[in-house]
Amino acid sequence: MALDEFLVELDGLTDSATESLNAALDVDSLEAVRIDLLGAKSGRLKALQKGLAAIDSAEKPVAGKRFNEAKQKIEAAYAAAKERLTFAVAQQSAAGFDPTEPGCKPILGHLHPITQTIEELKDIFARLGFSVADGPEIEDERHNFEALNIARSHPARDPLDNFYLQTATKSAGAERSEWLLRSQTSTVQIRVMDETPPPVRIVSLGRVYRPDTADATHYPMFHQIEGLLVDTDVTMADLKSVLRMFCSSYLGEDVHVRFRPSFFPFTEPSVEVDMRWQDGWIEMGGAGMVDPNVFEAVGYDPEKVTGFAFGLGVERLCARRYGITDIREFFKNDVRFLHQF
Amino acid sequence: MIVSWNWLKQYVPLEMPVAELEERLMMAGLNHEGTDAVAEDLAIDLEVTSNRPDCLGHLGVAREIAVLYDLPLAIPEAAPVASGPNISTLTGVTLESPELCSRYTARVIQGVKVAPSPDWLIERLKTVYASKMKKGTAWTPVNNIVDISNYVLLESGQPLHAFDLEKLHSRRIIVRQAEAKEPFLAINHKTYSLDTGMCVIADAERPVALGGVMGGADTEVSEKTTDVLIESALFDPIAIRTAARRLALHSDSSYRFERGPDPEGVDWASRRCCELILELAGGELAEGVIDVGSESPPREPIVLRMHQLERILGIAIDRDEVVRILTALGNDPQQVEAKRIEVRPPSWRADLYREIDLVEEVARIHGYDKIPEDGRVPMRASSRSRQDRVVARVGRTLTATGFDEVVTASAVDEKTSAVFSPWSDADPICCDTPMLRGAALLRRSLIPSLLSVRRTNESLSNERIELFEVARVYLPISGALPVEETMVALASGNGFFEVKGVLEAILERLGIQEQLEAADFESAFFRSGKGGELSLAGERLGYLGEVSDTARKMFDLRGEVVVAEIRLGLLLQLANLVPQASPLSSYPAVERDLNFEVQEEVRWAELAETVDRVAGDYVEAIEYLETYRDKERLGPGKKSLVLKVVLRKADGTLTGEEADDVRKRIEAACRDQHDAVLRA
Repeated sequence: MALDEFLVELDGLTDSATESLNAALDVDSLEAVRIDLLGAKSGRLKALQKGLAAIDSAEKPVAGKRFNEAKQKIEAAYAAAKERLTFAVAQQSAAGFDPTEPGCKPILGHLHPITQTIEELKDIFARLGFSVADGPEIEDERHNFEALNIARSHPARDPLDNFYLQTATKSAGAERSEWLLRSQTSTVQIRVMDETPPPVRIVSLGRVYRPDTADATHYPMFHQIEGLLVDTDVTMADLKSVLRMFCSSYLGEDVHVRFRPSFFPFTEPSVEVDMRWQDGWIEMGGAGMVDPNVFEAVGYDPEKVTGFAFGLGVERLCARRYGITDIREFFKNDVRFLHQF
Repeated sequence: MIVSWNWLKQYVPLEMPVAELEERLMMAGLNHEGTDAVAEDLAIDLEVTSNRPDCLGHLGVAREIAVLYDLPLAIPEAAPVASGPNISTLTGVTLESPELCSRYTARVIQGVKVAPSPDWLIERLKTVYASKMKKGTAWTPVNNIVDISNYVLLESGQPLHAFDLEKLHSRRIIVRQAEAKEPFLAINHKTYSLDTGMCVIADAERPVALGGVMGGADTEVSEKTTDVLIESALFDPIAIRTAARRLALHSDSSYRFERGPDPEGVDWASRRCCELILELAGGELAEGVIDVGSESPPREPIVLRMHQLERILGIAIDRDEVVRILTALGNDPQQVEAKRIEVRPPSWRADLYREIDLVEEVARIHGYDKIPEDGRVPMRASSRSRQDRVVARVGRTLTATGFDEVVTASAVDEKTSAVFSPWSDADPICCDTPMLRGAALLRRSLIPSLLSVRRTNESLSNERIELFEVARVYLPISGALPVEETMVALASGNGFFEVKGVLEAILERLGIQEQLEAADFESAFFRSGKGGELSLAGERLGYLGEVSDTARKMFDLRGEVVVAEIRLGLLLQLANLVPQASPLSSYPAVERDLNFEVQEEVRWAELAETVDRVAGDYVEAIEYLETYRDKERLGPGKKSLVLKVVLRKADGTLTGEEADDVRKRIEAACRDQHDAVLRA
């Protein structure tokens, strides 16, 4: 090829390259132009470079020099175009970004407030050395009443105050069976003591059932936590101390507890427990020293061991903590209610 | 029990402020419910526990105050003077049912003048009764005879009844069991149909009172009455409770008989009543008393060992103080030694018969505030149960995937119970009393309850309703205790595979390696072909499916629902809560995508099993990518299953050739086993 010819082509390429690089509107079209001009395999500049070989050797230095100048010119135009477009993109996206828009929040579910309360109670009592014991909800009269020293004449045993189960379906002539839905979690005490020699330090939690008409403070099904500690030398002072530690843990500050005399068949002495909170006393639940008759029913010797038991209503603790005024809300399960906890 | 401040003063000097007394009584076992001013008096409402019927009268409350403040207690002597003929010439009592009425006493006063009660008596009664009246109604006195019998009831806790002797046929009393459906016209002028097992006080012809519950209209004392028979008796607590409950007839009398009045107070109350009648209504008391049935046996002495106080209470109490408390409460000291005290308990305290009962008495009077609250309870190790750990992980996984936990009732109605019961075909267990309206059946699945909650939320226009519950189901077994099994149930507005994915996430969170298997499960509850029975390690895990339109209609549900219910027990069994670390290869992984064209009948699980079997040692994961269906490109009845195998060597870089070998083995096996054609 003649030098003139080569130089004309080179100038033409340089002009058109500069023009199209300057005209590129975005990064993508710039890239297409770059490949067309500067592509390593089949770019136009590369093709022209191959033409250098055909130039007379005497004229080669000139051709080579001019080629390099043209290449630098095109590369500079490319760099300028690239900077122009990248800056524009950066500017553009900075303008279209609003960090105050809400984040893409994953949807989280909520544990039921009763479950959250139960978890917390279990946690606190675990730190005080109480293990969790479990028992059936359907119980016999021995575990629900007799072993708990609740005599047949006691009002709590009135069939109308309990959910007794029927022996068979209606068609087969249903009769009241000796089974009932437990009316208290104290049944688990009996099951544990039946199977384990002392010492015992447990809490049991779960559903209990009593035929109350549902209203703001009653529901025929509710949850209880029951604690039991039996050893050779357990006293009422230990009961008071443990309950005080529990209340302090639950409220996160040092609180005092007081006992008011009460009556439960399975404990003696029996007390109502109050804790001091915001200038007043609030009721926590019932407690007492395990009645000797209960020990005898499970084969413990009341001359050798003593123990205490306590029972707290989970709904009441939960409702007070979260400011819930109607316990039916717990069982209605409106998801808007659940999302509050 | 409402007590009158002025009335109490008759028996014990009250010089303390009322608020202090209320507090003191509360801290000794009589919980203070409130105090109302009534005219010049105070009505103090005290809650009396069922073991303390002695405090269902002013005298009993006065005794507690006397013990607490160490004050003298004045009890009226009750010594009416008899000047009439011997009672046996005037009336007779036959006790036919000693099992319902253990003791029956009668006194007769002739020639009384029935008139309004004097003001002091009306004031006493008004303080007690006025605050119990319904709003808008006022308490009104009856007449001196009836008012006196009420007065003595509120004084001693022993219910009494006054009959008009003239109106008793043959002028006699028969205490017997009621006949079935025997009619009885009560003092409230309502007729009740009685039942065997109830105790009636009858004359020669008809019931004139329902023993211990309510008097009859025919023999009530009126202005024309001249001769009265005063009944003071003891009735069986359970029979009274049953009768009062069955007839919905609760009275001050039945309330006390259900708890058991003082057996030795029967005669005192009778004498006290007669004394007041003679004083306020005149008349002549017949000589003697008719007293049939058995007297209560004398109380057995109880020994209190002094060391038991410290052993139970954690504090020592001075012996003299112990003796003072027990004596003031009416216990009769038999022997007082350094280390033991023997007392005979009073007749009105049937709740005291063991050593521990005395420990409680001493403690509550001495004061529970003296028991320290800073004892040193020894530490003890406790560990979280496996069940608690697993349930917590399940709960965390479900809330992280957007599910809300619900708590629903264990009993459901018949329709709800019947709609889905995959775990048991046996009839559900029925409660004697429904738990909530119509809900008497113990549930055999949680899913129907979740659908009810879904319905509630739909009606509140809640948009996203993703629910789960962890609770027990009750599976009946013929002739034995039902099985209580804890289930995890979900109800979601998302699709089948989203819910299945959540279940898979639970398994992963529990470290369960076993593959979740699904088999077809046909049920009217699920949309046809869209129900699955799930299993793990060859055992039934649960069910998953899209709820059918029919079932949705039953719950009035608008949106589509996918539900699942799985057994917590199997998760507990298989969960690996303490996984062991295994060495990780430091060489890169090589992936190969495979796209198999197969007949529609070929299931992913089958193909994946084949891939897994032949893939060899280098396989790290077999990942499902997608199923592609296109009638035009693949032809009808065909689909393509796209998967990826991830391969890695433990001891070197896997070469492209090695990876291609694996791919070829997979291709060959899938062709042979499933007629699968590898697409480009």
